[in-house]
Amino acid sequence: MSYDDVEIEDMEWNEELQAYTYPCPCGDLFQITKEDLKFGEEIARCPSCSLYITVIYNMEDFQDSRKKTEAAKPQPVAVA
Amino acid sequence: MNITDRLQENEKEKRHEQEIWSWGAGTDGQLATGRLQDEQSPQILCSLSGFAPFASLSCGGAHVIALTPGGRVFTWGRGTSGQLGHGERINSLQPNEVKALEGFVVTCVSAGWNHSGFVTDNGTVFTCGDGLFGQLGHGDYESKCSPVEVLYFSSMHVEQVACGTRHTLALLKGDVEHKVYGFGSGKRGQLGTSTGILKSTSVPQVTLYLTDVEIISICANGDHSAALSATGSLYTWGRGYRRGYRNTSHGCIPHGFDTALSFQQVALGWNHALLLTREGKLYMLGGDHHGVLSNPHKTLLTKDDDGSVMAWGWGEHGQLGLGDTVDRTCPQLVNLGSEVAGKHATCSVYCGSGFCFVLRNFDDHSRKYVSTSQ
Repeated sequence: MSYDDVEIEDMEWNEELQAYTYPCPCGDLFQITKEDLKFGEEIARCPSCSLYITVIYNMEDFQDSRKKTEAAKPQPVAVA
Repeated sequence: MNITDRLQENEKEKRHEQEIWSWGAGTDGQLATGRLQDEQSPQILCSLSGFAPFASLSCGGAHVIALTPGGRVFTWGRGTSGQLGHGERINSLQPNEVKALEGFVVTCVSAGWNHSGFVTDNGTVFTCGDGLFGQLGHGDYESKCSPVEVLYFSSMHVEQVACGTRHTLALLKGDVEHKVYGFGSGKRGQLGTSTGILKSTSVPQVTLYLTDVEIISICANGDHSAALSATGSLYTWGRGYRRGYRNTSHGCIPHGFDTALSFQQVALGWNHALLLTREGKLYMLGGDHHGVLSNPHKTLLTKDDDGSVMAWGWGEHGQLGLGDTVDRTCPQLVNLGSEVAGKHATCSVYCGSGFCFVLRNFDDHSRKYVSTSQ
């Protein structure tokens, strides 16, 4: 069961870990990478214990710009 | 008896006056065992006897602040945000005195997640450590690795400070209109300073609705806060006790507890609170996971005076001190070795995030303390 629901804006970017972090009650940090977020992962885990939290965020904010541009392009309509 | 004998005798006596024990999560040096590892059973810390006796401890995310009876301050454990106050940002496996506070008589200390608060006998507050949420109260969002005076309170007499995960409370001394102040993160209503959600403030603000109440103690942990009045009434604010964010009502302002019970002490965990009544009965609020109970007002323990320590709840890091990592739903006796013959022991328990300390005093004064975390 998820320990908590936390908004991404309440997580801290940790340069050393290259991850967004949030305090874990065991004393370590819940962690989730940008890569995880890009793929829609919403669980941030603690490396020291079994606890995890659910991260609330907008997936589109973490898609890379190239993909965003592609997505924004009008799709060609298939014609027979 | 020659001088050496007398010194040895004194040393022996000192050891028997106070024992210091620790267990649980230890990978940041917070257990003061000299090792960077968890301990599932209580460890007696003979190496600390040179610093002891301690009057009290405060355990944070992974650091410990110890206060001596003479008002000196020692810290150890995680120091990567400057929370140890040693002028650097490194962990310390052994106690070191906070040199910046030398010359002050410190009367109250509090360890938050990664920050620390200190109050002196003349009512001055100092803070250090992580300041990213304004929890140091200096009007900025900077971290400090040495204690810095909170100038907002320079014309006031502060009596207590209480540090939570990302917020801090201060309690003023005496008969003043506004006694409780909050600063730092207010995202979950833990400051109690506004009727709506205040994201954060780095300048202390008055906690609302406590104006006409004689508050005598404050408590902060996780994202919530509590205060006790002189008449034994309990006020709580901040994160609700039920799980989750979206379906939980966060109380932005202090809420008086509607009960006939009169409380003498409150201890907050991240998701629960322990309340000790004046009759010596222990009650718990919240805490619906890891074996801690969810029914408010459920009696758990009655007061006993034998100085024993009981533990229950989450045990994954050995923080229950029961020799394993199993969660417990019922209070269990923690083994602190044999009693000292002819001496009456009283224990003070201090819990941090996943670790515990006990100060075991051998004397005739019987007081019982409760502490909680996680």
